[in-house]
Amino acid sequence: MQTLGEFKLPHFFNYPPYFTLQPVKDTREKQIQLWKELILDYCRTQKIFVVGLDEDFLLFSNPVIERSLSHEAREAFLSALVSEGRAEWLDKSHKRCLILWHRIQDWADLIISFVKDNGLEDSVMTVEEMRSGVESRGTELHGMDRTILMRALKHLEHKGKLVIFKGTSADDEGIKFSL
Amino acid sequence: MRRRPGIGGLQNAAAARDQYRLLGENVAKLRTDLMKEQLATFRSQLEDFARKHKNDIRKNPAFRSQFHEMCAKVGVDPLASNKGFWAELLGIGDFYYELGVQIVDICLATRPHNGGLISLEELCKLLGQRRKGAREAVSQDDCLRAISKLKVLGNGFEVISLGKKKLVRSVPTELNKDHNEILELAQGQGYVTVDEVQRRLSWSSGRATDALETLLEEGLAMIDDGHKDGKRRYWFPCVSSVSSYTATDTI
Repeated sequence: MQTLGEFKLPHFFNYPPYFTLQPVKDTREKQIQLWKELILDYCRTQKIFVVGLDEDFLLFSNPVIERSLSHEAREAFLSALVSEGRAEWLDKSHKRCLILWHRIQDWADLIISFVKDNGLEDSVMTVEEMRSGVESRGTELHGMDRTILMRALKHLEHKGKLVIFKGTSADDEGIKFSL
Repeated sequence: MRRRPGIGGLQNAAAARDQYRLLGENVAKLRTDLMKEQLATFRSQLEDFARKHKNDIRKNPAFRSQFHEMCAKVGVDPLASNKGFWAELLGIGDFYYELGVQIVDICLATRPHNGGLISLEELCKLLGQRRKGAREAVSQDDCLRAISKLKVLGNGFEVISLGKKKLVRSVPTELNKDHNEILELAQGQGYVTVDEVQRRLSWSSGRATDALETLLEEGLAMIDDGHKDGKRRYWFPCVSSVSSYTATDTI
């Protein structure tokens, strides 16, 4: 079986018809299910947050069997993820897709436990610090997508767990926790 | 000399008939007794044999298959009932019922992928993986036996022969001769094209398309439009399973 780095590809990735969107409903549902799992799995292990439909995404083609997914198939698989809340389109033309291997809610929970683990319950830090600071090193928050992080933070702000405010520099925001 | 008719003659004749009948009955009884005795001996021998080779029968699939064959030849079915001597002695009934349940499980689990048609080979392989912990090895012969026992539950399960290969069908789809011929053709590469079906089976394009469309609708085939020659391929997961398919087959 092929591997992409550490990632073990499933058997169906080498079976040519899985690269053609199936016309029969039951078969297609099964096909979409397998692809959804594969995309989420792959993105989670490789820390990929955004998939561009027209970009070179490794899963979209398999040179070994000389098959690649049509634009229609790519959109179908990602749309299926979107409809389950595991992804979001970043634009109206469906060119770029945000992959949520953790739902926003789960990301928010991760932030809470990060804050608690580091005793930051009523401290202040910036969004960038959270993504790339020393404290988050080794956690899932390190290097995470800014769009998703902001969404998760807004979610927490909504629940009154923190306040987001404009920082001194224009391109970064500060967070004041109040757990 | 002519025998004279008379009452004495008739009586003599009747007496002789009676004698013959008695003798006949005696002979018949003797034969039956002998037969019964032989059968009893045979049965005890068979029991002895089974008892002696109990472990072999349980653990060695080849031996088990030969034992079944021997039983079939003499008209004994160790699987006929779960109760009684054979089951108690060998626990063989339970073994096959267990297999049956696992086979149903596997067929259901793989149905979305293969449309309810699975090769015996693949089924055996999955069964083996599933029973890793169990002591006994399972042969294709055991699978077939377990499937034949499933028949009592209705017509859900059937074994179809395709050339040398055997497929197990777990959906009520009726496959006609055309479908079988296509499946047989597909065994070579795992797929067929409309052209190929027309050429190899000398069918009209309508007949080929019709049969392929039906197989597609039934979930037994998957289409593949990705080849660079632009010809649509119809793949059959039941004859070339995803897991056993390796990319080198096409290159």
